[in-house]
Amino acid sequence: MNTTPDVLVIGGGMAGIVAGTIAAENGLEALVMRTGQSATAYSSGAIDIIGYPPEGLALKEYFPEIELPFKTPIDGLRAILSLYPFHPYGIIGLKAEDNESIEYVIAHVSESISWLKERLAGSCAALVGDLDRNIFPITALGTTKPTCLLQETMWSDTLKAHPDNVLIFAGFSGHSEFDAQSAMRAYLESQLRTGEFPHKIGHCEVEISPFGKPYNISSIELARHFDHEGSVDHLTSALKAHVDKLGATHVAVPPVLGIEQASQNQAQIQKELGVEVFELISLPPSVPGFRLQRAMDRVFKKAGGTLLIGHQAKSATIKNDMVESVVAQSPRREVTISPKTIILAPGKFIGGGLEADETGIRETVFNLMPVTSSLYSAEDVRPANHTNVYSLSPDGHALFAAGLAVDMDFRPIDADGIEHARNLYCAGSILAKYNYSMEKSGLGVALNTGFAAGRNAVKMVREAS
Amino acid sequence: MTEEEAFEFVKHTLKDERITPYRKDEIEIVHSVEDCINCGLCINHCPVVAAIGVDRFTGPRSIAVELSRSPPEFWSTADKVYLCTGCGTCREVCPKNVNIPEVVNLVRARIFKHRPDLVPKGLHVVREIITKYNLAFEPWEDPEEKVESRDVRLERLGIPYIEDIIKTGAEVLFYPGCQAEELAQEVREAAKVVLSYFDVDFTLIDEMSCCGLPSELMGDDETSRKLSALLKGKVEALGIKKVVTTCAGCTSMLSKISQRDNWDIPIYHMVEYLVEEVGLVQISEALGSTSEFSDVTVTVHDPCHLIRHTSRRTMEDAIEILKAISGVKIVISEAEDSCCGGGGLVAYHSKDVANAVVQENLVAINKTGADRILAPCPLCTAQIEANLFRSGSSVEVDDLMVFIAKRLPKK
Repeated sequence: MNTTPDVLVIGGGMAGIVAGTIAAENGLEALVMRTGQSATAYSSGAIDIIGYPPEGLALKEYFPEIELPFKTPIDGLRAILSLYPFHPYGIIGLKAEDNESIEYVIAHVSESISWLKERLAGSCAALVGDLDRNIFPITALGTTKPTCLLQETMWSDTLKAHPDNVLIFAGFSGHSEFDAQSAMRAYLESQLRTGEFPHKIGHCEVEISPFGKPYNISSIELARHFDHEGSVDHLTSALKAHVDKLGATHVAVPPVLGIEQASQNQAQIQKELGVEVFELISLPPSVPGFRLQRAMDRVFKKAGGTLLIGHQAKSATIKNDMVESVVAQSPRREVTISPKTIILAPGKFIGGGLEADETGIRETVFNLMPVTSSLYSAEDVRPANHTNVYSLSPDGHALFAAGLAVDMDFRPIDADGIEHARNLYCAGSILAKYNYSMEKSGLGVALNTGFAAGRNAVKMVREAS
Repeated sequence: MTEEEAFEFVKHTLKDERITPYRKDEIEIVHSVEDCINCGLCINHCPVVAAIGVDRFTGPRSIAVELSRSPPEFWSTADKVYLCTGCGTCREVCPKNVNIPEVVNLVRARIFKHRPDLVPKGLHVVREIITKYNLAFEPWEDPEEKVESRDVRLERLGIPYIEDIIKTGAEVLFYPGCQAEELAQEVREAAKVVLSYFDVDFTLIDEMSCCGLPSELMGDDETSRKLSALLKGKVEALGIKKVVTTCAGCTSMLSKISQRDNWDIPIYHMVEYLVEEVGLVQISEALGSTSEFSDVTVTVHDPCHLIRHTSRRTMEDAIEILKAISGVKIVISEAEDSCCGGGGLVAYHSKDVANAVVQENLVAINKTGADRILAPCPLCTAQIEANLFRSGSSVEVDDLMVFIAKRLPKK
């Protein structure tokens, strides 16, 4: 069975869906193919633009005046573009004149953020935040992390505004994924250290039993439970006693307020209790990540794109510098796709775009040449040599910055710097030279490179016809 | 001592120790478990977890990483693994392609072999029927009553009856599957009408026998393999070139065993056959201008055994066919690809679980405002129909093939 879309996107996480949507919105026939879910579906759902440089805090040794984490994504982008020209954000800037590249990239990021916020408005993953500041939402562990865009149910703008604010961490009995007391302790400790408000922090546990038993409850069950009409009433009344007792002004809950109904539930609790309620950021795979993937899929389909799930790209044929066809496999069938252009956005090690073992790192569909964080070929490197001794090292792991090197149009290039095929672009975490886990830039880079690669593919299809 | 010598040394005590070594074709499945990164994404997507919670059904991850690593005490997991509907969602969402649905089958096979007392009672009833008749459902006692039931169904639906053709050397074997053979006879007849209309050179099977999927799902691996060998013999004797079926479960099972047992014959679901071999041009010529039917809004249900065990492209084919029919408006349900709960033989012993799983589908179907829901699978059709009826919904249910056959011009 054959099919011939204008644009084939391999991978359907943030980068792939954005690229596919750009193509579909420009009137092209766009096919996004992915195996099942993506790393976006795992993520915390927060869309980070840039929080730290690739080295993390180590950069302070050379530039003591630099403020880390970056106060605003714009500060971060300026630093990245000045110091790391081959960072994916830097690649975006190669299109502009040298002295204009920073402003060009900031404009690009700003445009992509507005685009995304507009598409997700009113969805189950509607976003708040903008490029003018990094916000520091609280995690389920009681720590904070810098990010740029957050689902609107996960942020309170007033929490730090007043010295008399009182915050309660509310957990659920039998829900092992969140412990309100330890989150409270960790958060309180950091508040006392920084002197920021609020200083009055409590915790409580409420009993919600989606299936009649107050134990062995998972996040997804709670989220689904709260999607049912009226089920949030019980939570509201259970919280009321604790809010009254402590005089709370803010309530933090794990991110389980609903899949489709989180925003409405938040509004209802806030209205009835007269407090602000917000969800914490949780570990993967989180409900907000689930909501984000679901909302993104709908954006793509609404734009007229076709989403083909359950298919994995296996091999491709390249002739005369052009990718002719891609063969993909489902559990019991095979399909050959002959697109005009291809955007490769399969993710890195989790998504399956790169595979690594003791003999080296490989790109799985086109057998492209991956490079290390220092832009050497990674085909024969031992991944273990690019990791730190400690898994949670403050220096991160260089291995995560391995990936594909690209030209200014986001086309992967070979050892001579020549693009592998004229109609092959790539986007998202398969790109080299950025370290999302260190930088807090994962979904931001995915969004922007997907945006750029999508536009390049549109341009190529238009020029060819 | 080599591995073979070691095996020779211990093999006589394996039975006492309640261990069944993995077969060659199972090794890959077992190895896939090693790739699990314990992320738990499968739990978020599992329809059984969504319906009954992780306390009653532990979810796919624990089946893969914990339950599969507990031989010989697999039996301790029986109350969990028999609640899996086998929809394949976990394998699809898994970033590491861990073959959890097949792991479920492996574990069930070992429970079945060594602790049959722990296999749900309802499944033993099915097993007895299968071993006695080579069919998943008890055949009609009175053949005349079967004919009567068939004729009543055909008359109600306005589908003509075509005599069975059984011959060797035909291009296509039409394999209806047990459900359409014994219960949903209108599906079997509808497929014959469709194949004849498009002049397909087809034959039926002389004596219908099961593909082996129900046996595999209950853990009766031995019977399952016996049935697939039996069917292989019949297919070879008929000398056909292709197999076409209307059942989603048969599609995936036949695709699997034809590969495993080297049939060298391509397997098609009817929707695939119509799009790939008959062609949409012919289909729209036949169905694009039928004016005797009033306009109808339909929604579809994607059978798990087609989309997640075979290929999601099958449902794209189904939609293409529907688009070619005049007066048909398609609305997509939010839960179109969510398991109906009818799989994994769960309904035979834990009906409450099966019916809890289908609730999400019912809500979404009613929300579409469609007049009719279509599914290219008699099992999904039956499960959804029964539950829609019980909930008092006015949405009607058809197998996709019946819907098409009804609208074909009479030749």
